Amino acid sequence: MPEFEPITGRYLTIDVAGEQHRIFVEEAGSGVPLLCLHTAGNDSRQYRHMMNDPAVTERFHVLAFDMPFHGRSTPPDRWWLKRFRLTTRSYLDTIRAVWKALGLERPVVLGCSMGGAIVLKLAADYQNELRGIVGLESSAYAPGRYNEFLHHPAIHGGELCASYTYGLNSPYSPEVNRRENWWYYSQSGPGVYQGDVHFYSLDWDAREDIKRIDTSRCKVALLTGEYDYSCTPAMSEAVAAAIRGSHYQLMKGMGHFPMIENYPDFRPYLLDALEHVVPVQAAAGAPAPMQRAAR
Amino acid sequence: MKDYPGADWLSRYRDNVNADVELDVIGRWFTTTFTLTFGDRRYAVKVDKGRIVDIVAEPRLDVRSEFGFRSPIEVWDKFLSPNPPPLFHDFFAMLMRVPEFVLEGDSLAAMQNARALHRMMNIMRETGAPHA
Repeated sequence: MPEFEPITGRYLTIDVAGEQHRIFVEEAGSGVPLLCLHTAGNDSRQYRHMMNDPAVTERFHVLAFDMPFHGRSTPPDRWWLKRFRLTTRSYLDTIRAVWKALGLERPVVLGCSMGGAIVLKLAADYQNELRGIVGLESSAYAPGRYNEFLHHPAIHGGELCASYTYGLNSPYSPEVNRRENWWYYSQSGPGVYQGDVHFYSLDWDAREDIKRIDTSRCKVALLTGEYDYSCTPAMSEAVAAAIRGSHYQLMKGMGHFPMIENYPDFRPYLLDALEHVVPVQAAAGAPAPMQRAAR
Repeated sequence: MKDYPGADWLSRYRDNVNADVELDVIGRWFTTTFTLTFGDRRYAVKVDKGRIVDIVAEPRLDVRSEFGFRSPIEVWDKFLSPNPPPLFHDFFAMLMRVPEFVLEGDSLAAMQNARALHRMMNIMRETGAPHA
């Protein structure tokens, strides 16, 4: 028998603001739904280590999807007639549509970078329908990443976007993992990374929204890498300071892509964050205690 | 004028670039001259197909260059240290967060060669700290 990984990928069509989108979703495990959001210009492959980790999948039904235009999700009809520009509104609407289409009951939503940003808005707007959020590299306001060269006819966009994001990894993360993430970035469609950064660096400002988050209803865990220069630790600390009862942890020696650049070192931080959001004792069905493997 | 990063370091850097397997794969179209300025000491790095063919110290007006990186020595020291502090570990990080680190000249030419240029700058780090 082939030794398949315990990850299953499928497609479903969702409606976002009257537009049909064929979306790729992959999943593993069972238990509390844990919906994972990839970074700008990337896709759900970034979560492959989490979905292969029994310490996570024994307690959580881990799902990750490719945003429209990303990875294996198909752009909507007539995509060639408009410039791809993600906004706070369209990002929220897409996540909500996937969440509803999958029938997730009080999920935990985990996101990184632009995903780590939008989970803050989800927690502000849908706090009664969420168990909690895990924000990786979360900022409420992150100007400075947008530039016109990210989509320019005289520049190879795949190579620029991949190189532009490569240094966001920690220099201490294993090269093979950093290069894997480089490869995923290089595969993004023309202008997709720039369209995402439009959301992240131009449209996004949740500095007021996060003050509405009530952590007695929706738990908040925040993890940020020491070497992240897009969302610096100071930026996440500002978020944590604005959300009373949130859990924040600096990840020493880590960069902007913890789940893909260095999963073994990320894992203890992740398991602590998940424990904060869904304590073992509080989880339904008396699941097995969370086991931490040796690093 | 401080002798930084020094002739020995530049020689090792050139040798490391020219022996680099990855640049052999990706450097075919990377032909340019760019400058590196360490404090007030400026060098022109002449590149042909991803290989350094010459490093000209204190280039005069007849040495043309497309673009360059300029910074105080203190910033280069952090970038080239074995354990670079956050924000100083990558040239894109410094371009975003370290105002003293400047990309001068034609930034389009630099970004057209982003992959090979990034590799070449990372080989600076792999060459190690000057005078170490």
